Amino acid sequence: MIAYLTKRLGLSVAVVFLVVLMLFSLLQMIPGDPATVALGPRATPEAIARYAEKMHLDEPVWRQFAIYAGNAATGDLGIDVFTERPVTAIILERIGFTLALIFAAMGWAMLLGIPLGCLAAVKPNTWVDRITGVLSVGTIAVPSFLVSIWAILIFAVNLRWLPAIGAGEPGNLTDQFTHLILPAFAVGLSWVGYLARMVRASMLEVMGETYIRSARAFGLTQRRIVFGYALRVAILPTITLIGMGFGGLISAAVFAEIIFARPGLGKLIFDSVMARNFPIVQGGVLVATTLYLGVVLFSDLLIAWIDPRVRDSL
Amino acid sequence: MKKFELSRRGFLASGVAVGTLGLAGAYPFGARAQGTELLRLRLDGDNQILDPGYMIGGTEVEAQKQCLPFLAQYTRDGDTFGWEPTYYVTKLEQRDPTHIDFELTEGLIWSNGYGPLMASDVKYSYERMKGTDWGGYFEALDHVEVTGDRTGTIVLNKPFAPFFMVTLCHGPGAILCEKATEDAGGKFTTKFPAICGPYTYEQIPGQRTTFALNPEWTGPKPGFDTVTLQVITEVKAAELAYEAGELDCTELGADTMARYAAAMPPNSSLTTAGELQYMWMGMNTEHPKLQNKQVRQAIQHAVDVESILAGAYSGTTTKSNGIVCPGLIGHRDATKSYSYDPEKARELMDASGVTGLTLTLRTLNNQERMLTSQIIQANLAVIGITVEIQPLDSGPFWEMGSESAGDTWQDLQLWTMRFAGTPDPYEAAQWFVSSQVGIWNWERWTDPEYDRLFDAGLAESDPEKRNEIYLKMQDIMEETGAYVWINHEPEAYVHGADIQISSAPSGELDYRRFQRI
Repeated sequence: MIAYLTKRLGLSVAVVFLVVLMLFSLLQMIPGDPATVALGPRATPEAIARYAEKMHLDEPVWRQFAIYAGNAATGDLGIDVFTERPVTAIILERIGFTLALIFAAMGWAMLLGIPLGCLAAVKPNTWVDRITGVLSVGTIAVPSFLVSIWAILIFAVNLRWLPAIGAGEPGNLTDQFTHLILPAFAVGLSWVGYLARMVRASMLEVMGETYIRSARAFGLTQRRIVFGYALRVAILPTITLIGMGFGGLISAAVFAEIIFARPGLGKLIFDSVMARNFPIVQGGVLVATTLYLGVVLFSDLLIAWIDPRVRDSL
Repeated sequence: MKKFELSRRGFLASGVAVGTLGLAGAYPFGARAQGTELLRLRLDGDNQILDPGYMIGGTEVEAQKQCLPFLAQYTRDGDTFGWEPTYYVTKLEQRDPTHIDFELTEGLIWSNGYGPLMASDVKYSYERMKGTDWGGYFEALDHVEVTGDRTGTIVLNKPFAPFFMVTLCHGPGAILCEKATEDAGGKFTTKFPAICGPYTYEQIPGQRTTFALNPEWTGPKPGFDTVTLQVITEVKAAELAYEAGELDCTELGADTMARYAAAMPPNSSLTTAGELQYMWMGMNTEHPKLQNKQVRQAIQHAVDVESILAGAYSGTTTKSNGIVCPGLIGHRDATKSYSYDPEKARELMDASGVTGLTLTLRTLNNQERMLTSQIIQANLAVIGITVEIQPLDSGPFWEMGSESAGDTWQDLQLWTMRFAGTPDPYEAAQWFVSSQVGIWNWERWTDPEYDRLFDAGLAESDPEKRNEIYLKMQDIMEETGAYVWINHEPEAYVHGADIQISSAPSGELDYRRFQRI
């Protein structure tokens, strides 16, 4: 397990390095003087000179990269163009909102999607299976931004049950929770369908295995067979799906954060792209990538822990 | 490992928990803050630089108006804009064309122990502005004479008719505390070094800004104890938030204005701040494809502006005939050298000898601009010009004509453009003088008569003579063939019917002047 962990960790670090290199190269390719591009046409020569010095733009490109990568490795992602605050501090202020949204969305989707998939698998080709199938495909097909808008129109504008915008009062957990419900619903809805379909397919495959037949022959209850034996194996591809889907969740969170005016990482990156605030864009994408790799790594390790056969492959 | 068991009892318990959670959501979050002194507004993004010398503009000006002293403020009488002295002065008088005397109100205190508001703060603030990003507004300032602790004279180096309206009333006219600003290093970003106004300022980045009553304020109490501004980037999201009862006032987009004109939300009113925005389609007179003036004039005649107003703006905006906006000196009621006439456009194209012309039209990628561009594309197809639309986000769009930002200015052919300004024709006219070629005069024409009239307009104080000057300047612009005037978009706000809002003609809100009615 330790050898597997070391290999997977090394691979993740290499990917992060490549992302830093790619981001840096992309920003170098933008036409025009980076200082003018960042500060806009109204900037004074003094401001441009100050920015160039601060960003080490007077150094050779390879040295600029070395400085950026070296600083990033220590957690220093540079300085915000406008407010001159550290990018790391700005990202730390926002990342909690995105993580809360993603985990809430995935959490409720798992709570609903996995049992639905099991139900469909243990009653194949019945009306339960068909309804589950229609619901699953239906939720997968509807884009999360559309769900967001309809959720606001129904639950906030018409019914006024839930708040439409923001993340709630700082320090007020109840308020923050109520502000999380609609965005988490919008982001998680399609995952209910994904998970139900994946669990159903895996369960059907596992339920046909000989050891399940043996369990039945020994007189074990259906509930014991499903939850005690079949689901433990059938959940493995689902864990992979959740890990791989984390990147998609970040994208869905961007839309939700814009529509619900939530102050998360996605909205920060979006606003920074619009304002051409490149240090924040660079830092935000790097943090999002690292997060994604972290979750994929975690899901891989979890699978390797559950199924030792995986440890031999990379 | 403990096994998961789904018992009937467990299932029922979970059901009750989920149901309770659902009922918790039934709390009426959308209830308006009636009977309280809380005002809830929208902020379209974080304020990034509150320093009047280096701000971006817009909502930073709104923050300055709540927390910093100003000598003058806007007034409105119907569609006409004017100015009046603020509470901060007991006297503000123009002695002659280059001298303005002022006396500050006694007893106004800076926060953080920086003592009383002094005439020396006015001198420091205004003279400092000359060397900042917004120094253009103080080009006419020579110096400020301090004649006492609270008295002084603003001395101009030339008569400058718009000084009150575009300089003293607007954001650059904010007064800073000299000592506090110097203690902060001479400039600041997201925190005022000291305030002297009815509200304190607190910002949670990405979330909200809160203005709370300033305990040291000795002036008139504002209409609301607390003003919270939620950061909502998208105007559509803000409109939904208003309809959900979570905002008391928000700006509106054109299509929502049209919808509200048919059916207003309950207990709501609509207020138009002003129409100080002017949109046009520009043509690069130096581009090889557009150097022929007859081609440019053909394009002027081919564009059906009425269709644009109906199709892209749902009839909510005023047709434009120049750069000077409605309600201001120099506003034109009609175009002089062109009108929508496809036949005339075809004749001009035939006379030019140009055939098979293809042009690129660059535009911001928002809904109204894209629709406008598509209508123009269809109009020009009628006279045999093929237009390719190139949508851009705001970053590359706003620097495409700037010579200091790259070479895109050489490829510019057609573009839709909108500027906004302050309520004086000088503000709109300044971008088209010869020295602005390659900066903001993307049409790249020069005219010595236009430059001469621009200087004359600044020095002239007679409104009738100024009117003639700005009309003539717009005639010159139009005759270059480089402009198709499109519209003046209003800054419109929907708000609770029990609230009276206060805004600058250019749309910045002044929360301290809001009142519950």
